[in-house]
Amino acid sequence: MKEHVYDTVYLRSKDFEEGRVLFETWDPKARYAWDAGVAIGRFLAELKAGRLVGRHCPGCRRVLIPPRMVCEHCFLPTDAWVPLQDTGTVVTYSLCYITWDMVHLEEPQIPAVIAIDGASPGMGIMHLLGEVDPEAVKIGMRVQAVWKPAEERTGAITDIAYFKPVAS
Amino acid sequence: MALIERVTRLDQTKAWLGEIPIQSRYTVGIAGERFFREIQEHGRFLGTRCPECDLIYVPPRLYCEACFAHLEEWVEVPTTGYVYTYTVAHQDLDGEPLPEPRLLAFIQLDGTDGGLVHFLGDVEPDQVRLGMRVEAVFKEKAERRGSILDIVHFRPVKG
Repeated sequence: MKEHVYDTVYLRSKDFEEGRVLFETWDPKARYAWDAGVAIGRFLAELKAGRLVGRHCPGCRRVLIPPRMVCEHCFLPTDAWVPLQDTGTVVTYSLCYITWDMVHLEEPQIPAVIAIDGASPGMGIMHLLGEVDPEAVKIGMRVQAVWKPAEERTGAITDIAYFKPVAS
Repeated sequence: MALIERVTRLDQTKAWLGEIPIQSRYTVGIAGERFFREIQEHGRFLGTRCPECDLIYVPPRLYCEACFAHLEEWVEVPTTGYVYTYTVAHQDLDGEPLPEPRLLAFIQLDGTDGGLVHFLGDVEPDQVRLGMRVEAVFKEKAERRGSILDIVHFRPVKG
């Protein structure tokens, strides 16, 4: 056995390449379907239709976006769907010169939390800003959703291409 | 009301679809290395024996599962045995239908306390019986690569 393998604890790439160790490979198909649930499911369906919706809490009377079926403050079931505008206010933002998988960007991506008009103060969603000079982005800036064409929408948060500044 | 709101039409459900890329590489280990090299080189099975417990392990273990002794006694064991249990598989690992059903069995190897899970061949599903005597069929030596698939299948012993 000694001439084959495990003289040292650590296996090296060439141990595999040169057939010094026996091994099996397997690439399982790890496909999954994650159920979005009632609240987010409706939220995504409305996105496909080009609308933003929230949920109303009968306890604190807040309008929640993203919608959820239970209010995290009151532990009460939310009770109504509320149509919202596709405009809002930049709560916070970041200039990202690197993508999530670490590719350098010349022009930054600008992820932002946007408080949505019609929802309660501070209620918002995370998205990207576009059609804007990165240096000009300010907290409190008024923005509006730029929707993808209806035929390209799939029922995903990316059905909104980005938010762009509008006159306040 | 809201809490019991439910989807009543399945085509309205919204599921997020994805695929996780996974690649795996499984090394057969120290005892497995010797076991599969023996199959590759000589078309034979090896086991390890615990002299204290009088157990012969196939596939070979480095340690006795009963007394935890380090096992150093390697013994050649027969390539024959009997069908301990079996199943008829109609789908592959991904749930896709197989062109032909495949028979999978645990083969208890003669003279040992172990055995192998493998295919049954040269036999129709309705002919398989528990306790049926079977023997290993090996690939030609040139095609063997030190894998469990160096064994084509187990087939009924004639006569």
